Amino acid sequence: MALIVIAEDEFLIAEVLTIMLEDAGHQVEAAGHGLAALSLVQEKRPDLVITDFMMPLMTGLELAKVMRADNELSSIPIILVSGAQAGVGRSHPEFFDAVLAKPYVESQILRAVDAALTGRDWR
Amino acid sequence: MQSLPRISSGVDGLDQILGGGFIEGASYIIQGQPGAGKTILSNHVAFANVKAGRKVLYVTLLAETHDRLFQVLGTLDFFDRNQLGVSVSYVSVFQTLRDSGLSAVVQLLRKEIARQGATLLVFDGLLNARDQATTALDVKTFVAEVQSQAAFVGCSVLFLTSARFADDSPEHTMVDGVVELHEEVVGVRSVRRLQVKKSRGSAALGGLHQFEITSAGLTVYPRLEAALQRPSFNDEEPPSRQLPSGVDGFDELIGGGLAESSVTLVFGPSGSGKTSLGLGFINRASAEEPALLFGFYETPTRIRAKARALGLDLDRLVDEGHLEIIWKPMTENLLDKLGHQLLQAVRHRKVRRLLIDGLGGFERAALHRPRMTEFFTALTNELRSIGVTTVATWELRDLFGPTVTAPGAEISSLIDNLFLLRHVEDEARYTKALSILKVRDSSFNPAAHEVNFGNKGLAVGVPLKPVANAATGLAIPYSS
Repeated sequence: MALIVIAEDEFLIAEVLTIMLEDAGHQVEAAGHGLAALSLVQEKRPDLVITDFMMPLMTGLELAKVMRADNELSSIPIILVSGAQAGVGRSHPEFFDAVLAKPYVESQILRAVDAALTGRDWR
Repeated sequence: MQSLPRISSGVDGLDQILGGGFIEGASYIIQGQPGAGKTILSNHVAFANVKAGRKVLYVTLLAETHDRLFQVLGTLDFFDRNQLGVSVSYVSVFQTLRDSGLSAVVQLLRKEIARQGATLLVFDGLLNARDQATTALDVKTFVAEVQSQAAFVGCSVLFLTSARFADDSPEHTMVDGVVELHEEVVGVRSVRRLQVKKSRGSAALGGLHQFEITSAGLTVYPRLEAALQRPSFNDEEPPSRQLPSGVDGFDELIGGGLAESSVTLVFGPSGSGKTSLGLGFINRASAEEPALLFGFYETPTRIRAKARALGLDLDRLVDEGHLEIIWKPMTENLLDKLGHQLLQAVRHRKVRRLLIDGLGGFERAALHRPRMTEFFTALTNELRSIGVTTVATWELRDLFGPTVTAPGAEISSLIDNLFLLRHVEDEARYTKALSILKVRDSSFNPAAHEVNFGNKGLAVGVPLKPVANAATGLAIPYSS
């Protein structure tokens, strides 16, 4: 069981993702935008962060940049999940451990989560 | 008089209706039932502004995911996936609203507008905000706060809602403009119409304007009689030049030809030679006098074949670019779209000779027939003002009949020249006969003449043998 923070502004996606991860035995904390997610990460020190790209106040890319620049947070794996900006995410392998294009299926995200938690290549 | 700075909507026809576009820093409510086209409209406006170098913030309170929205937008020409997250950001504030309320959403929007440097904010889901509010006052306050904060940084706001706010609702009193989109069924067809219900700071074109949604996004067709209340050019001294009609033997009867910039109506029953007369007119097309045939009945191929059979070489004129043939089958046409397309085609090629075959095609497209007089007034005034000489046909319903009805008294008075073609039966033979009923500001030969097909199109022949009731087609020989 791991503690996972989700940064996702679209509540439908956030809720489905939360249920999937909880069913897989994880503990989940969700935030509606990047800035709220950063506070959660600083407070909870999760094992993994799953983030959307386009969000209010702080994008997923900005969130990853801040975390990577922070010694305390830089080792937390980050998965980017995005429809439109998956390509942008892939061009920044230094920020993201994995990039998933929306829409994704449950098995894909769970495989990526397992791989990120164990330090394996998720593909 | 000072005019307010505006941003173009990027939607064809809409800027004209709004009096020049959306006002910079102003707020608008875009309302309409689900499926009315609000989302397409606002995304069209968003991407047009992105193209103009602006930043756009698109905020939703909807259950539909953004990726689903992008899938739909992906079928439209204006959508540019590469701009997502770069010049246009789609964010959902649903969780902020649910967890922290409307005032938190206002705070978030203020920060987000500044962060993105947005000059256009689209807020999709005002109805959802209303659901969340405990009193009507909350939404009013919300709208007021969002728009005042946006105005401070010169950001225009479009609030989208499927609620039908009453005209005196607090939301309406707050915003600078209200645009309502309808899709309704008229008879058996459906039609989309747009109405500007409020426009602060400028006169909008009132009433209902037809629009359509295609892969090009939204196109609005301002009601012609509203858009062209006065023609584009002032009426100067009427030109004295006359154009040859292209029909042998005809010009002598009408004082030398058709006055330049005049409108002529040729009416008569089916098969009486109306189109043939018109084809003679456009057969005189040249580099100096480009021609356009705007027709509803025959396809361009059939028109060209018909002209060949009459000994007229339209093929060469088309090949040389002196003649364009536009065919609008009389299926589901939109009246104002037809009017704008006609004028656009005329302006584009600086058309001097125009044949409309026939006016009935416009009338059939009208959902509200009583406006035809105003529509034709606007259309013919505009054609005259841009120097087009027009010949239009009008089909009489009855091949023969005791009464000859001109196409409405009002319409006839909009016309400069009025010619009637009839089949006249005389001694078991049918003869085509042409009568001149009106030539504006000129004397004309009042005798009915036979017309026949010469080797170069329709030609006017000898005066008709004196009979009574020739105009009805039911001629009676004068008793000797």
